Amino acid sequence: MNKNVQFFRKWLVLLVIGVLLVSSLSGCGSKEKVLKIGYITEQTGVDAYVGAASVPAMQDYVDEINAKGGISGYKVELVVYDTRSEVTDAVAVAKRLMDQDKAVAIIGPSWSSAGIPLADIADTAKVPMVATTASNVNVTVAEDGTLHPYMFRVCFIDPYQGYAQADFAYNKLGLRKAALLTDIASPYTVGLHQFFEKHFVELGGEIVAKEGYTQGDTEFRAQLAKIKDSGADLLVVDAYTFKDIGLAAQQAEGLGLKVQIMGGDGVFVPELLEMAGPQLEGAIVTTGVSDVAPEFAKFNADFEAKHPGVKASIYTYYGLDALMAIEHAIGEAAKKGDVTPTAVRDALEVMTDVQLFTSVVTMEPDTHNPHNKPLLIMTIKDSQWELTETFQPE
Amino acid sequence: MELFIQQLVSGISIGAIYSLLAVGYALVYSVYNFTNWAFDGFMAFGAFMAFTGITSLFMPFWLAALLSIVLTVILSVGTEKLAYNPLRVRKAPRLFMMISAMGVNLATVNIINLIYGGTFRKFPVDNLQPIFIKGVSIGRMDLMAGGISFGVLALLWIFLYRTKWGLGIRASSIDILTASLMGINNNAVAMIVFAITGVLSSVAGVFYGIKYAVFPMMGVVTIKAMIASIVGGLGSLPAAIVGSMILGILETLVSGYISSTYRDLFSFLFLIIILLFFPNGLMGKSSDEKL
Repeated sequence: MNKNVQFFRKWLVLLVIGVLLVSSLSGCGSKEKVLKIGYITEQTGVDAYVGAASVPAMQDYVDEINAKGGISGYKVELVVYDTRSEVTDAVAVAKRLMDQDKAVAIIGPSWSSAGIPLADIADTAKVPMVATTASNVNVTVAEDGTLHPYMFRVCFIDPYQGYAQADFAYNKLGLRKAALLTDIASPYTVGLHQFFEKHFVELGGEIVAKEGYTQGDTEFRAQLAKIKDSGADLLVVDAYTFKDIGLAAQQAEGLGLKVQIMGGDGVFVPELLEMAGPQLEGAIVTTGVSDVAPEFAKFNADFEAKHPGVKASIYTYYGLDALMAIEHAIGEAAKKGDVTPTAVRDALEVMTDVQLFTSVVTMEPDTHNPHNKPLLIMTIKDSQWELTETFQPE
Repeated sequence: MELFIQQLVSGISIGAIYSLLAVGYALVYSVYNFTNWAFDGFMAFGAFMAFTGITSLFMPFWLAALLSIVLTVILSVGTEKLAYNPLRVRKAPRLFMMISAMGVNLATVNIINLIYGGTFRKFPVDNLQPIFIKGVSIGRMDLMAGGISFGVLALLWIFLYRTKWGLGIRASSIDILTASLMGINNNAVAMIVFAITGVLSSVAGVFYGIKYAVFPMMGVVTIKAMIASIVGGLGSLPAAIVGSMILGILETLVSGYISSTYRDLFSFLFLIIILLFFPNGLMGKSSDEKL
């Protein structure tokens, strides 16, 4: 064998022993109680903007907690792992947080495609997870209707928006006859409209027309002529693509159909205004938390001053929401005794009227979704978005 | 009754757009016996050229439309020279021409996508207010589009049936080899056919852009036109127009009176039934007489 190799081997063994000694000594030194909160997020890959906007704000908040002496005497550490914007990596790093880091709770993921497989993994490992922006129904409740006991979220589910829209249209706008124009190929639109219809009818409203189209369609006059004939006073187009509501508005104008038009966050994009601003004058578009909301203006300015080049977004807000929910749950668990992942889970489930970053949140114990999150009502005025109000269903 | 007439009017205006495209398919198919899938991309190209003419070069509408026609004709004839002609000269099977057309189409659509982005744009012309007759709305744009579409088709008909060149094309459509033996210049016929295709796709693209929106995938509508030309009787111009009108009206009536959710299901089911009884299309003739 080559002498050089032998020489290196000797040194390598010594080095490894040295590292082990040092690390074990430092382990002995800290007797402080430190809880690890995991955060799995996209720091590289196509969705890297999610991690970029959220990690600095969450680290700042953890530093603040520790500066104040921690949560009920427990110092906290934020352990951030990159999912590389891939579901497989998200699963791998979440497992690492559960098995190796022994995290007391995990924040994330931000996408439903990772949230759905992770729900099962969290249940098995018995470590609670709080998803940030994963809005698919099946993240917290499996398709067969059973609840994932260890999976929570702080954003509203996709169809909730339909529920809130119905509430707003009926109670605030006083509209009674709604027509739905549904993209039958989009689960997003179909889900929103199911919830809209259910709640609108519950309230006493009437669905006078239910028309459909398929993704990629550009021609809606046949449907709109029927809607005009039905005497509707509200047209709901919760399209996934802004083109659909834009074209529908243009063609409605052409047919002389004058109704209140309403859309969801799928069409809350500036391009819509360029495409059909004048035709959509007075139209209402609902969206969840948004950086346009005035209550976040001060936070945004402070955050952007402290972290130049980073812009606060909904990922910042929902990340903080999840972190604050876990902070609350750790505090509750500490009051009752030991802070274990299961104790944190139990506290998350019964969380009631807790001020988080975006709003006061009550967790629904049977769905693990936040109860009645507020919705922003945007109105199109002079081809510009205007925030009319923040609406919370009763 | 008002609703029915409204649906009929909408159906005819949709049929007019399908007609322009269906005629383009029919023309190429009848002469060369292959489906020119590149039509889809040409249509988007035409719309984007007119769009650029107005927004970036500040041209008036008519000049931008003319620019679009000229450039689309160049693209169409260029495609024939570079992609189809070499295959024909080497006697490649028809299928290869179709694959080649698909390639040209993908390339065109993707290049547009790269340059302009995939978003939807409003065509920068003022929306004309529709005319209302007894509560039925008739779009001025639809009237204009319909008028110009049929004007273009009428010119095409005159060209094909009243000129010597038209005779050459018709002769080629029956038997291209014999026609060339009789002294008809094959290459010239190809140039003319693809130039006409360019004009049709540009006009269709511009109108479609005005009526709906300008976006790289706008050409997917050509699949409907293709179906319309088959139902009418592939390879015949009047049949392509009839097929387009039937499809346009059928779609709106199905949406209006059966179900908009199942529009395509019912419309295409009906078309399949037509084809079961008329395997060559409604006005289809056997292959010895075309155009």
